[in-house]
Amino acid sequence: MSESKANHTFAFYLGCIAPNRYPGCESAAIKTCKKLGIDLVPLKGASCCPAPGAFGAIDLNVWYAMAARNLVLAEQMKMDIALLCNGCYKSIWEVNHKLKHNKDLRDGVNEVLKEIDMEYKGTCNVYHIAELLYNEKYVGVNKVRDSVVTPMTGARIAVHYGCHLTKPHKDREFEKSIMLNTEHPSWMEELVAAIGATPVEYRNKMQCCGAGGGVRGYDIVHSLDITNEKMINIMEAKADALTNICPFCQLQFDRGQIEIKEKFGISYDLPVLHFCELLGLAQGMSPQELGLDLHAISCEPFLQKVL
Amino acid sequence: MARTKGYPEALEKKLKDQRFYREDSTPDFVNRIEKISRTMAHMCFQCGTCTGSCPSAPRSSYRIRKFMRRAVLGLENEALTDPDLWLCTTCYSCTDRCPRDIAPTDVIMAMRNIAFTHDIVPVNFLKTVQAIYKTGHGVPNNDVNRAAREKLGLTRDPPTTHMYPEYMPGIRKILDHYHMKENADRIVKEREG
Repeated sequence: MSESKANHTFAFYLGCIAPNRYPGCESAAIKTCKKLGIDLVPLKGASCCPAPGAFGAIDLNVWYAMAARNLVLAEQMKMDIALLCNGCYKSIWEVNHKLKHNKDLRDGVNEVLKEIDMEYKGTCNVYHIAELLYNEKYVGVNKVRDSVVTPMTGARIAVHYGCHLTKPHKDREFEKSIMLNTEHPSWMEELVAAIGATPVEYRNKMQCCGAGGGVRGYDIVHSLDITNEKMINIMEAKADALTNICPFCQLQFDRGQIEIKEKFGISYDLPVLHFCELLGLAQGMSPQELGLDLHAISCEPFLQKVL
Repeated sequence: MARTKGYPEALEKKLKDQRFYREDSTPDFVNRIEKISRTMAHMCFQCGTCTGSCPSAPRSSYRIRKFMRRAVLGLENEALTDPDLWLCTTCYSCTDRCPRDIAPTDVIMAMRNIAFTHDIVPVNFLKTVQAIYKTGHGVPNNDVNRAAREKLGLTRDPPTTHMYPEYMPGIRKILDHYHMKENADRIVKEREG
């Protein structure tokens, strides 16, 4: 498979968990996108999005201003933003949307940004990488399928969509209306099928991972109990691995399984992979190249099955 | 002939009398919530779809419908001092399903914002603020991760504020504009001594 010429370039907004806890997600995103004709250039000087639950809960105005600063950095590069985390999508996409449509909010934010010689103009758009992969305007399922060199044949993979990419759906503006079904979407399953794996359905697929809103920090047992319910449902469907499109959900499922073992005495040992990591494997990258050895739950049994 | 416009004065008076006020209620609570959240909280008719959709409800006493009622009735103290206020994972399932097109999640966020002005806030939220003030990241890098990044062919520090600390003064200025750091430091010190 020859690398196609890059015809889309995005400022790559990293967030916190991907670069600082799961660097494999970061490198997987850059490498897989490159093979699909998307160049991701670093958004220099970006900060935390900031966390929509933890930060928005304290003062929404600070949340608007801090997210706007990240948006201005992309505006200065004259580029659209691509990111790989649902939490970041909530902050960066939604603040961009709100500021574009509410003059009073924009004026308030610009008053603060003036102190650091910045101005939010509303000239950039924000995309999630999963959205780019599914949208034919950028990549599309067929192109994803064509890029596969090691099909994940026989692997049963459960999908966790996470919350903030698609919800609340009345605000979201995806290219395809199919992505806006928030009760029972199947576009991620299409992507999983495109890399040769078998997507599995499980009970209450759209339930939250339990980490958001600051709950993971506030009441870890409550948060893990939500994760545990999801784990029970996923195991019931006999999945070999769980894929997600949000490093924070990944943290909650991957490290969360260790915490569930400590607190509830139940072990699942289910490998948890970001979709970019999974796509990297299918495109023929080695597990080491994708940082899979950094996961808390060993991916070995899954790798033996698919490679 | 039936009147088509406006209420008769008597009905207007009756409705006014029936508005719920108690000694401990704050009538403008719902107005402040609506201003912050930009959603019509007062339109809630208590159907309970929100609580039925909530992943936190089955495992705690957190009932989002109850918080919606407290908003409408102006029960500010009761809402803000309830520790359940902080159990919303902001999954937005309730917002997606609300038949009145209200965003209960945003109502909770607005209540949390108002709670913060009364210094009611769990410490973990403030720790995030402190981390961002210090490094620009809510979850900062560490040495184990730096080594892992290097092995993957990435830079030891990501090309964010970690690699370009010259961006930090701007971030601190934004946070200082809202007195975030001083409030966070003060509250953490009071709690932890």
